[in-house]
Amino acid sequence: MKLQRKDVLGLEEMDVEEIRQILQTAKVMKGILMRPIKKLPTLKGKSVVNLFYEASTRTRTSFEMAAKVLGADTTSIAVAQSSVSKGESLYDTAKTIQAMRADLVILRHSSSGSASFLADILDAGVINAGDGQHEHPTQALLDIFTMEEKLGDLEGKNVVIVGDVLHSRVARSNAWGLRKLGVNVTLVGPPTLAPAEMGGLGVKLTHDLDSVLPGADVVMALRLQLERQKSGLFPSLREYSHLYGLTTERLKKTGKQSVVMHPGPMNRGVEISDEVADSAQALIERQVTNGVAIRMALIYLLIGGSANVVA
Amino acid sequence: MLWLKDVWVVDPSQKLSSPQSVLVKEGKILAISSSMSDEEVQFKAQGEAIETINGQGKFLFPGLIDVHTHLREPGQEDKEDILSGSRAAVRGGFTTILAMANTQPVIDKRALAEFVRLQGERAGYAHVLPIGTVTKGMQGEELVEMADMKEGGVVAFSDDGKNIQNSEVMRLALEYVKLTGLPIISHCEDKYLAGDGLMRRGTASGRMGLKGIPASAESVIVARDLILTEETGGKLHLAHISTAESVELIRRAKARGVNVTAEVNPHHLIFCDEDIHLTDTALKVNPPLASQEDRAALIEGLQDGTIDMIATDHAPHTQAEKARPFAEAPFGIASLETALSAVYQYLVLTGKLSWERVIEAWSHSPAKRFGLKGGTLKPGTSADMVLFDPGYKEVIEPSNLVSKARNTPFLGKTLQGFPVMVWVEGRLVQRNRMLL
Amino acid sequence: MDTLEGTVKSKILDADGIRRAVIRIAHEIVEKNKGTDKLILVGIRRRGVPLAERIQKYILEFEGVQLPLGILDITLYRDDLSTIDVQPVVHETDVPVSVEGKTVILIDDVLYTGRTARAALDATMDLGRPERIQLAVLVDRGHRELPIRADYVGKNLPTSRREIVAVQLQEVDEAEEVLLLERV
Repeated sequence: MKLQRKDVLGLEEMDVEEIRQILQTAKVMKGILMRPIKKLPTLKGKSVVNLFYEASTRTRTSFEMAAKVLGADTTSIAVAQSSVSKGESLYDTAKTIQAMRADLVILRHSSSGSASFLADILDAGVINAGDGQHEHPTQALLDIFTMEEKLGDLEGKNVVIVGDVLHSRVARSNAWGLRKLGVNVTLVGPPTLAPAEMGGLGVKLTHDLDSVLPGADVVMALRLQLERQKSGLFPSLREYSHLYGLTTERLKKTGKQSVVMHPGPMNRGVEISDEVADSAQALIERQVTNGVAIRMALIYLLIGGSANVVA
Repeated sequence: MLWLKDVWVVDPSQKLSSPQSVLVKEGKILAISSSMSDEEVQFKAQGEAIETINGQGKFLFPGLIDVHTHLREPGQEDKEDILSGSRAAVRGGFTTILAMANTQPVIDKRALAEFVRLQGERAGYAHVLPIGTVTKGMQGEELVEMADMKEGGVVAFSDDGKNIQNSEVMRLALEYVKLTGLPIISHCEDKYLAGDGLMRRGTASGRMGLKGIPASAESVIVARDLILTEETGGKLHLAHISTAESVELIRRAKARGVNVTAEVNPHHLIFCDEDIHLTDTALKVNPPLASQEDRAALIEGLQDGTIDMIATDHAPHTQAEKARPFAEAPFGIASLETALSAVYQYLVLTGKLSWERVIEAWSHSPAKRFGLKGGTLKPGTSADMVLFDPGYKEVIEPSNLVSKARNTPFLGKTLQGFPVMVWVEGRLVQRNRMLL
Repeated sequence: MDTLEGTVKSKILDADGIRRAVIRIAHEIVEKNKGTDKLILVGIRRRGVPLAERIQKYILEFEGVQLPLGILDITLYRDDLSTIDVQPVVHETDVPVSVEGKTVILIDDVLYTGRTARAALDATMDLGRPERIQLAVLVDRGHRELPIRADYVGKNLPTSRREIVAVQLQEVDEAEEVLLLERV
């Protein structure tokens, strides 16, 4: 079955069946990725445009790889964002891409809602590769895929997401997706970075990491934007790291061989210690591999098969 | 002579809300009476032809006064100009509008104020009265020539769109404005608390990942301005109040006798932050839509008189500007043509506000506070009037809006209850929703 | 054929007929390749898979050798993806041993236009470089659109394009027969 949608904009709007279908397809895609010959004719003649308004070599490369393995042609447009009238250029760029008859557009943009904005304009499909602080669905799907690969069925499992959750689209998408799969999600961070309004996601919110570690099956550290210190959101890296950094010592508190994840790129020594990052518990490289598989699955499910039209 | 027969007159200035007959002659209200015989009318016409309008099933009330409109002229005529804005006003039931000073250039000199006033006269629809800035260039530093600007027709001073961050400048303004007897209109927003926020901070902003503006961004400045007004004995009007805390602060200040009035915008009475969607920039407005609790407090405050008036904060923008991702679209709702109908449909018909209170807050209260003509149907006063058909339905579509802007959350929706005749100084300027 | 979308004209093979045909194919595979050395059986989803399993079982019976068995999903290699309405579900391809230098026997139920076989050839090549690939089918119904022929055929069946050949296997369909249907 094809996904009954034109776009993948976020996990808030996705139902459990769709998520399962994507994960199932990604499993097949991972098998292909592991082969010596990583090339399929599936999307021959389809064109995928990577439209990136924020620099992100990792995500862009992952999407490019995914599209190429499936046989699609890819074009990457990196747009330097000026601080004024950004929207006009997004609207105009969208119209231009439309005229070039792209089949799928992958958008990374600093404004929350920009992917939905683009999807409303384009006939082509849109995959949200991160819109502002709103959602980053492919990251969450690859995180979930990785967790399932390691832990099996996730229902009833405990996932702790720690860091700057307020500004994190990764945290938001993971919270939506994991919640739908019956996972107990806890968001952790200092009150300035995990404020009460994050309660809108319907998951547990706390400021005390150590108290929620016991029983955690997965501990995910978020990347700390170092500029946030200048805005007064936390006093120092030293104190942040002391309270929220993942160390071997701290991880012992889970009482089990918990899985450690990080969306990358990591600030080693801040949100995660070298030792943890390089330990067997850490699935960070596997997340990267799975990212390509998830993106292959999404691209296939959106533009493989019949014409890209949803009734 | 005009004879409006059997019309339900709502005129809070005379404590009227009942069926009446109204006579208008030579641009003025001649008489209002619940019993008026044909002979009496013939006698009063003194031989003049009588045009009779049967007002059964309709309301007649004083032409509404909107103390907060952005007409964008001079400088941003692609969004709106004084002609299009004043046409939109009379289509929406407003016969007097106050034009905010944050144009390009800002209205910080008498000559500029005169220009706005004259453009309004040339347009010939609603009365257009200029508001001057408080500070030169709206920079929040040096005061404008308030006395001279009053001579040029300015009816209030405001740096609306920006808050005067420097409390000493605000204090001085409240002192100096006493020379004019006019109010300072304060746009209360602490720029550090508001930051580059996009909507009210709350679970909805947390969910969508839109940067939040805390309620305190408004309320701390409301508190400051009330304290400064009390200290100086100045005259303060608070623009677009949106939080429960602000309402409570005003209530307490009024009890102490502080010379303050406040307005609320229709959209803050109708919508709340949960109504915002990421792709719908029509509801992106400043101050941002607040919580349901705030909305309830605003309605209560308006009904009990803590909030004195309703004002649209008509903020026209081009479609291209609003057709952007949420973060990049400008704040503001264009509302002159829909505000009255929306308030009638969402608040009066639902029993949340009384119709009499709505008319008072949009006519008599602003006239009193800003020392304006109008806001009443007392015999002898200028016949600025609205005939309102509570059953009239209209689909809000670009093709029937006369404002240049389409940034209204009601686009595509049907509203009920519209002005079907509007007179300015006894001259019919709108009939059956068409401008004359 | 998940649902039989036509009226039954005749039964081409019954359970015994299928059994005999598959046994013959198993014998021919061993004979043609002069033994079982370097052979890999690969069933094409869906009905090629139980056929491959049966061939594996028969060869084990005659030769005492258990040949490696793989499953091929050709969805991602289909050339009609952009024209069909319903996007097929992708399943895993599972070929447990390297195909490098081996003889791969592709097994399917029906050979018709040759497009499935073409996709299966591409899919196999992407797994590595086999020494040769052979094709075994239960029914060859003609109407080739590509230069492809089967090495082993259970039953040659001349058909018209209006007709449908429905292979039903116990493992998939809970029936065991080959039917010729007229499209309605």
